Amino acid sequence: MSGVAGSGLAPVLDDLGRRGFEEAEVFAKRGRSRRLRLDPFTRASELHEERGWAVRAGTARASLFAAGTGEPPPDGPWPEPDGRPIRLPPPVEEGGAGAGWSEPADFEAPLVGEGEGLEVLAAIGRELAEELAGARLLSVVLEDGASESELASRRGVTAGWRGRVAVLRVEAALGGGAGAGPAVAVELAEREARRFEPRALARRVADRLAAEAAGPPGGFAGRDRGELVLAPALGARLLAALVPLVVGPGAAERIGRLRDRRGRVAGDAVTVVDDGRLPGGVLTAPVDGEGLPTRRVTLIEEGRFRQALVAWDEARVREARPAGCRRRAGWRDLPATAPSHLYLAAGEAPPGELVAELARGYYLLDATGPPAVDLADGRFAVPVCGFAVERGRASAPVAGVTLAGTLQALLHGIQAAGRDLAFFPYDGMVGSPTLRVSGLELRGPSR
Amino acid sequence: MPAAADHPFAHLDKAAVGRAVSQLAERPGEFAEAYFERVELVELPPDDDGGPGIRVRREEGLAVRLVREGRCWLAARDEIAPRAFGEALRRVARVMPAAAYPEPRLEVVPDEGAAEAPEVLEMPARVQRAVRARRAAFPLRLTVRRHRRWVQVVRGERVVPEPEAERLYSVAAELPWAGAGGRWGALFSELGEAAAARVADALVDLFRARQAAAPEAFRGVVVLAPAAAAVLLHEAVAHALEADVLALGGDPEAAVGVRLGPEGLSVLDDPGTAPEPVRRRSDDEGREVRRRWLLREGAVGEPLADATWAAASEVLSDGAGRRGGRHDPPGPRSTHLELLPGELGDDELLAAAGGGLWLAEAGRGALDPRSGTFRLDFPAGRRIRDGAPAEPVGPCRLAGTVADLLAAVAGVGREAVSAGAGWCAKGGQRMPVWATAPSVRLEGVEVTGWG
Repeated sequence: MSGVAGSGLAPVLDDLGRRGFEEAEVFAKRGRSRRLRLDPFTRASELHEERGWAVRAGTARASLFAAGTGEPPPDGPWPEPDGRPIRLPPPVEEGGAGAGWSEPADFEAPLVGEGEGLEVLAAIGRELAEELAGARLLSVVLEDGASESELASRRGVTAGWRGRVAVLRVEAALGGGAGAGPAVAVELAEREARRFEPRALARRVADRLAAEAAGPPGGFAGRDRGELVLAPALGARLLAALVPLVVGPGAAERIGRLRDRRGRVAGDAVTVVDDGRLPGGVLTAPVDGEGLPTRRVTLIEEGRFRQALVAWDEARVREARPAGCRRRAGWRDLPATAPSHLYLAAGEAPPGELVAELARGYYLLDATGPPAVDLADGRFAVPVCGFAVERGRASAPVAGVTLAGTLQALLHGIQAAGRDLAFFPYDGMVGSPTLRVSGLELRGPSR
Repeated sequence: MPAAADHPFAHLDKAAVGRAVSQLAERPGEFAEAYFERVELVELPPDDDGGPGIRVRREEGLAVRLVREGRCWLAARDEIAPRAFGEALRRVARVMPAAAYPEPRLEVVPDEGAAEAPEVLEMPARVQRAVRARRAAFPLRLTVRRHRRWVQVVRGERVVPEPEAERLYSVAAELPWAGAGGRWGALFSELGEAAAARVADALVDLFRARQAAAPEAFRGVVVLAPAAAAVLLHEAVAHALEADVLALGGDPEAAVGVRLGPEGLSVLDDPGTAPEPVRRRSDDEGREVRRRWLLREGAVGEPLADATWAAASEVLSDGAGRRGGRHDPPGPRSTHLELLPGELGDDELLAAAGGGLWLAEAGRGALDPRSGTFRLDFPAGRRIRDGAPAEPVGPCRLAGTVADLLAAVAGVGREAVSAGAGWCAKGGQRMPVWATAPSVRLEGVEVTGWG
């Protein structure tokens, strides 16, 4: 990449300008990643180097998007513009896009080595076998990558930034051979592969397998409205499904339907934030995919809706300041409004205390399938697994049941948040602490 | 499709690349290959998308792979150049950067930009007219794409397969009456009035069924139209008989000869008989494709295998290795499924099926390879009355084990058509899959409503 952000892209911008494109933006990205894969039949080690670019350009009447591998071509060829004209963002004046940004030191960390990474994968298998007799890995994939991005536009936006992401996907089963026992899949992300902890991951997988192996608890029929404690993985899964309530230009109207008589959209324990510069965050960056500065945005504060996460051209006059929140999934993709690190803020309580306080209820570990959310109807349902709790102690595993209710009951029913905030990869990183929730329903075996 | 001389890799020095690759595989049983590709995507979003109009993505690159004793090393680059090729070789061989690996000249026909795609630009209007001709009207948000890929695989041996080229189209529709996530899509080898008619037929049927209640659960008869039958075959036969999927439950070789369906049920995979724009002579590992009997008269003939699985077996054959692109490793996957036609007309399949369901379009399917259980969702259907499709019903689901579902095949239509093409995303690698199938009648299957 060029020494000064955007300087290598100037010839392309000049060419687009000569061709009559008043609006023009060039994005370039270079990355390298190591991918390691382990399953009962193979061990694979892959090394990838990617290099791509993308151009958005428009006249007063039409626009184009072009993308390709290698370096952006200084003289096209460009497709004929079509569709509608585009507007690109103006630069931020105060201090520039990188103001207040300190690049994390671990961006310099080298990619995980082949032997080092395969040992992590093997360790997960060993730890899992120790945690739960009969548990075995079906497949585990580790991908550790680093990237450099650069952007410049004819409006004067210029930015350069780096990224570092590692993703781990684990599939495991209980029992051997065909049809024996449950299987689970778990995906985690960290800024670099050395942060994954095989033992902690193995425990999480083992807990899921043990809960799912039991099926619905004996005598569980119909519905139960016991007190619930949701583990971070389940809280994050539900928050990810509720993104349309807090992200995008229509979010304010959608979430407005959940207001109670006090004008709150959620319980007092609920604060929801998106932070593009989250310290230690996997996707932390000084700018978004359009080169605009990222920042922390409070969306819901102690139950009160503050603002939706909206981009510079989506904010209406009455809304609070827009954020740099247009993310690019990759060089092939157009920027789209999306959260970076969306999370329910942590509370003070140790998570164990939230479970210990349950006289009778359930500690739910994770979703066992995708949530079904009907925003129009204001309802949700998600298959879950976990444990029944009596007098603060797990009494029996629970699986094959569905957590359901209204969105209003979910958000207003969050009574307390633990101090153990954890993030999980969805469209962006989504985080939640352990949550104590009331007013929801567990329904008998799901079909 | 372009003439051979216009193929981007027509002038690649394959002999030099082959000599370089052959240095990687040192021992018997090992193999290596170099994979070159150029990919083009031309996309027309919906009119009101708000962003740029026509969108073009063009990319090219290479990958080098070595397989040795169940281990695999792969290096992929986003450029086709001698130095990139040499570096990929060194990475895979795991030698020091200064090692003298050859960097052959890699002459590639220059990329002159995407060819115009008038057929893409014209498609939304064609579909609009076809919908109106069916006396329906609803907001139409279509995304139309043309996908092109050019591939050249060079293996270490002297035999070098011919370069391959593919062109296909995808049409994706958002269904405004179905709420967030309501979508329909299909793949086509050609775009024109016939494709527009197919899109209109599907969307109008879904529109007219939008308020229909999901059927009550029952056990009985369903008749699957060719497109739905093709998806059933893809999920319940093709995926179930991929070597890596079979291995999750035991030895893939042990599946050969096992009876999965009734006599009269024969299913093949043959990339060489796919529609002409996507027809293949070699797979993505450069191995010759084969007409492979997955099921012959109901019994497993030959599982789908790639070079790695075939190398470890005396029974499995390669030729079914496919990859999503240069950054993905190959794996067993079907390309073009054929369900051999039977002897019954559609009227005979529908006769005496009163109270059953006619299912024209399938949505998502899911196979659990460990348990053999299988689920296929349908966005809508029609109740069968008096030997014909009648009133619409809402979303429903077919579920059971693969063996039970295939054993339920009670009749196969005599008119096989190209239908049911779609995207398969196994293991995160998205690839087009094609099919030629007739209608199929299933008896004694469990159907439930959902959604």
